[in-house]
Amino acid sequence: MSGRHGIEVVELVREFPKGPRAVDGIDLHVAPGEIYGFLGPNGAGKSTTVLVLTTLLPLTSGSARVAGYDVATQGRYVRAEIGAALQEAALDPLLSAREHMRLQTTLHGLSRSDRKVRGEELLERVGLVEAADRRVGGYSGGMKRRLDLALALVHRPSILFLDEPTTGLDPQSRTALWDEVARLTREDGVTVFLTTQYLEEADALADRVGIIDRGRIVAEGTPQALKDEIGRPSVEIVPAQDGDHEALAAVLSRFGESVPALSQSVAVRLRGGESELAEVVRALDGAGISVSQLRLHAPTLDDVFLEKTGRSLEGAGSEHGGDESAG
Amino acid sequence: MSSSTDRGGSFVSVAHGVAWRNLHNHFSHPMYYIPSLVFPLLFFTAFTGALGALTDLPGFEFEAGYEGFQYVFVLIQSAAFGGVFTGFAIARDFETGFARRLLLAAPNRQGIIAGYALAALGRWVFTALVVTGVAFAAGMTMPGGVGVAGLYALALLVNGAGILFASGVAMRMRTVQAGPLMQTPVFLALFLAPVYVPLAVLDGWIETVARFNPFTAFLEAGRGFLVGRPTTVGLAFGLAVALLVLFGWWAHRGLRSAESAG
Repeated sequence: MSGRHGIEVVELVREFPKGPRAVDGIDLHVAPGEIYGFLGPNGAGKSTTVLVLTTLLPLTSGSARVAGYDVATQGRYVRAEIGAALQEAALDPLLSAREHMRLQTTLHGLSRSDRKVRGEELLERVGLVEAADRRVGGYSGGMKRRLDLALALVHRPSILFLDEPTTGLDPQSRTALWDEVARLTREDGVTVFLTTQYLEEADALADRVGIIDRGRIVAEGTPQALKDEIGRPSVEIVPAQDGDHEALAAVLSRFGESVPALSQSVAVRLRGGESELAEVVRALDGAGISVSQLRLHAPTLDDVFLEKTGRSLEGAGSEHGGDESAG
Repeated sequence: MSSSTDRGGSFVSVAHGVAWRNLHNHFSHPMYYIPSLVFPLLFFTAFTGALGALTDLPGFEFEAGYEGFQYVFVLIQSAAFGGVFTGFAIARDFETGFARRLLLAAPNRQGIIAGYALAALGRWVFTALVVTGVAFAAGMTMPGGVGVAGLYALALLVNGAGILFASGVAMRMRTVQAGPLMQTPVFLALFLAPVYVPLAVLDGWIETVARFNPFTAFLEAGRGFLVGRPTTVGLAFGLAVALLVLFGWWAHRGLRSAESAG
């Protein structure tokens, strides 16, 4: 059943008693084998959505099917089909990685002979064989994340939930984890539901992205389609002479609306797109304005977030309160 | 990937995994198994050493000696507190987030409680063996012979009731700060029973409280088994089963509460 199903969510609502409506009527469709990036600031509702979809939290209203099973009434079947690495790697500091493998494979009902083979295979895949007999209390953040990912895979889940898997990791560990996630989808056909607050993570990994803010999905599509929706790049120019700042702004205003920029520069979103860049240079030349630096910025997912919510993704969480329970 | 609906661990595999982890941690780390041994041994040696002369009181007749009299208390006490310590372990797992790993991996979540219970049973059996060895070394006799099996059966039921009571508290509170809520009622119930002398020798309010305390029935029946003169057996086992049913419901509701809280 699960092999041909991904995730289907209709009008999902999760309210906390005397608390906020953390998830406020979202619809989602994640196809089998797809990497879906769920992007939003702290407190937007990402983790709450994951907790509901992984059967760790009951929904208030709406419906959700994961791997073809209803999360409200068929939780045991959902749990058999999914793997999850949640925000805080839930590891026992007194157990070694190998002992965690033994526990996880037993919980999932693997036969005695399969337990050892599968455990060793996964420890090798995430590069923890050398450290496998050390207690995980002494592991680095990156090692814990890798072990958590390996544990989520012991029963060969068809759908994998990763809740901010690279938060707090160094760039090298982050890249290694991205590679592993991409490999899982490419080689094993695993569907991945990934929450993140890192734009570049969603951009690099996700086939499609949903942007959530205050419990509602404000935009959805492929990263490129979302950026194309914004469509136009911006050009940022630093004049060679400080005194030319106002003249520069006047010239650029003919090509598009102003966007925020560093104090010594002027930036506009180009009404006519990249093709207008040559015209901009000619206009500056005609006005006798010398240029120190010129940068063309392609639209980013942050631009998409800004366009949809009126706020920048960076720092939006603190503005919202960042309630952990609302994830 | 697999497409069958029979994937995932069974009740037994979940219980096995949870029990293995708890027993492994318990016996691998002295910080866990030493306290569970120290308390019953301390009670036994302190009470028998300091209060042995109580057997000279009029009306205090016990063929197994004061060591046997206290052994029954210490055995029941260790069984009850073995359950309470399980509540601590559950609360700690919720506090650290480890419980989510168990809740995520368990198709049948009742298997989680069963696993904690099996581990508690294993820990208590170890404690009971050590306490029994020390009691024999101190001169305890067992005039009741094989009838003493009734004492161990009763202690097992008390252990189970303690586990379910403390599990229910732990899964509702989900923090180790709930420790006093698990410990205090059991501690009070234990020490408001005829710990040092038989019920017949007690007087005043303590005698009234002890008469209605279920632990009194457990101690009297247990001491009866030890000396081969069974007393209040039906009452003791009836109360123990009733507590098991009551706290089983309490623990089941606690699990539902924990599931709702995520």
